[in-house]
Amino acid sequence: MARVRLVEVTKRYGQTVAVDRVSADIAEGEFVTLLGPSGCGKTTTLRMVAGLVEPTEGVILFDDQVVNAIPTHKRNVGLAFQSHALFPHLTVAKNIAFGLSVKRRPKAEIEQRVNELLAMIELEGYGDRMPAQLSGGQQQRVALARMLATDPRVLLFDEPLSALDRNLRDTLKYSILALQRRTKKTAIYVTHDQSEAFAISDRIFVMNKGRVEQAGTQLDIYLRPATEFVANFVGDNNALRGTVVEVHEDSNHRRATIRCGSLTVQAHAPGSIAPGDRVLAFVRPENIEVLQDGASADEPGLIEGAVEQVVFEGPAVRLLVDADGTPLKVTVSGVQRLTLLDAQRKRLRLRLREVSVVRDEAA
Amino acid sequence: MSAAVAPTPTYRRALLAPRRISAGLQHAYIWLWLVLFALPFVTTTLHSLRAPEGGLTLESYRYVFGSFKENLLLSVEVTVATIVLNLFIAIPAAYAIVRHPIPGKRFILSTLNLALYTPGAVMGISLAITYAFLFDIPRTFVGLLGAYVVGTYPLMLVPIIVALRDLPRVYEEAARTLGANRLTTFFRVELPLLGPGISAGILLTFVIVFNEFLVTLFIAGPNTTTAALRVYNLTRTGFLPSTAALAATMQFVSFIIVLVFFKTFGSRYLKGTYLI
Repeated sequence: MARVRLVEVTKRYGQTVAVDRVSADIAEGEFVTLLGPSGCGKTTTLRMVAGLVEPTEGVILFDDQVVNAIPTHKRNVGLAFQSHALFPHLTVAKNIAFGLSVKRRPKAEIEQRVNELLAMIELEGYGDRMPAQLSGGQQQRVALARMLATDPRVLLFDEPLSALDRNLRDTLKYSILALQRRTKKTAIYVTHDQSEAFAISDRIFVMNKGRVEQAGTQLDIYLRPATEFVANFVGDNNALRGTVVEVHEDSNHRRATIRCGSLTVQAHAPGSIAPGDRVLAFVRPENIEVLQDGASADEPGLIEGAVEQVVFEGPAVRLLVDADGTPLKVTVSGVQRLTLLDAQRKRLRLRLREVSVVRDEAA
Repeated sequence: MSAAVAPTPTYRRALLAPRRISAGLQHAYIWLWLVLFALPFVTTTLHSLRAPEGGLTLESYRYVFGSFKENLLLSVEVTVATIVLNLFIAIPAAYAIVRHPIPGKRFILSTLNLALYTPGAVMGISLAITYAFLFDIPRTFVGLLGAYVVGTYPLMLVPIIVALRDLPRVYEEAARTLGANRLTTFFRVELPLLGPGISAGILLTFVIVFNEFLVTLFIAGPNTTTAALRVYNLTRTGFLPSTAALAATMQFVSFIIVLVFFKTFGSRYLKGTYLI
C-alpha cells in the first residue's frame, strides 16, 4: 500500500516523446485508470512505475521514497500483463509461488499462501495443472493470484483483459475491482476500453500523445470534458463550433450562451471561458431530448430539425437530425424510441442538455 | 406440381476407388524411401554377422567389445565436452546478438557460421597447421575438443538464437516484477523456456561430433582415435565382418543415444517442431 506520485515524468526515445511531463498524485488505496488510444503513452507510464522503463526526466515516488533508482525486482510492485504471462513451464501452484520462492520464504508458508490464493480465485485443486490446461479466464485469475502473492505495494494492470472475450471481460473486471477493494492496495490500470475504465475506476486519466488530457471522475470526464480530444474520445458526441455570446454566473453555476451558426445553445462554462471566445460546444446524442408534440413551443434554447435517418438498434433508436444545416446525432432509448420509428423526414423539436464547452484550439 | 426428388447417392467402398489407390501409392512411396535409406545399415549388419566358414556368428562383436570400447568411450567423452563448451559459448553469444543492438549483426552472424561452410578437409589442414605452430596441441584430447567446438558451435548458436528471438520478453518482465533478479530470472525462467533451442543444439552437436572423422583424421593421434575414425581406418584393411560389426555398433550407439534423447526431452521440448 502506497501513495504513488509522478512528478513531470517524461520518456523520450530519441526524437520521439512517448510520455510528456505526466504528473499524478494517486492516493493510497485509490484505483486509477489510464485511458487512451494506442500509442498515447499509457503503457509506457505504467512500465515506468514498474521500473521496466527508465524515465528520461521526472521523479516517481512511492509514499515519500523516490523509486527511480530502485530496480524492478526490488520495487515490490505487482504487474498484470495483457497476455497473462504465466510461466508455461511451471504448474499453477509454482507460478503463484514464484515470487515467494524467489524471496526464499519457508516452504510451509509458501504452500499455505498458495492454497489461500487458489481459494480466493476459486481454483482450488488446480495447483498441479499447467497454465496451458486452463481457460483464458482461469489463466488471468492465476496471474492475479501470482501478482498478489508477494503482497506488493502497488498493483499495476496493463490491459489485462484485452485478450479475453467480452463476457469474460465483464465478469473479470469486477473481480479485479473486488480484489483491489479487499486488499486496499493502490492500483493503476491501463486500458483503451472506456467501459472498462468507467466500471472500475475511482479516477480516470485520459491520455493522448504522451500527455494527460484530463484527470477526473467518470462524471467529470463524461459530462465536463476538458479538451476536444476527451470529448471526442470518450463516448459519442456532437461537436458544434461557435462563439460565446454571453456568460451568466450565479452562486453555483456558470452558463454560457453560444452561437453556433444558426443555432443558439446553453452550456456549462468553465471559468476560463469568456464572451467572444471561439469555442466548441459538445452535446452527447443521448443528452438530446426529443419533445413530444404539443409541448410548449416558446421555451428558449429549443432546436428544430428534420429527421434524415432512423436506425433501430434494439435498446435504442439513433436519429440523424438536420437542424438548419447542422447535423445532430440523437439517441433515444426507453419506450419513447418506439414512437420515433417512422419519424423519417418529420420535423422534431429538440432540447439540448448537459452541453459542455471547450476552447476551440483550431481557431 | 410435385417437387423433383433428387436420387439419394449411394456410396460404395470400392477397392479400386481413386482415393484408395492414391492413398496406397502414398504409402508405397514412403516405404520405398524408408527401405532405401535403411538398406546400407541392414547390409552392414548382415555382413557383420557372417562367419568365415559360412553361416551366422556373433564372433565379430566379441572383437568389437574387446578393442573398440576405448574409442567409443573417447567419442562419448569428447562429444559431451564439446556440447558443454558449446553451451557456454552459445548462450551468452545468443543473448548478445538477440538482445543488444550490435552494428553489423548480420555480418557477425555469417562470420560465426563460417565453420559450417568450410570443407572438412580444409578445416582439418588449417587446424593441424594451427595446432602445430601456434598452440602445440596436436594429437591431444584438447586439440580434438578445440576442433569440434570451432566446427560445431554455430549448430548450437543458431537454434538458441531462434528460440531466444521467439521468447517473449514478458516472461522476463513478469519474473522481475515478482522479485527475481537478472540471474534468478535467467536460470528459473528463461533457461527452461529456451529448452527447445538448447535441445535442438545439443542434438545437432551430438550427431555431427559423434560421427565426425574427416577433421579428426588430420589432428588425432594414436591415443585420440575416435570411434568414427577407427571405423574409417579399418576400412583400409578391407571390408572384414569385424569392420562391419564396428560400423554397425557405431550406428547402433548413435541411434540409441538419439532415441533416448528424444524420449527424455522430445515430448517436452521438441513437440510441435518438425522433428517430432
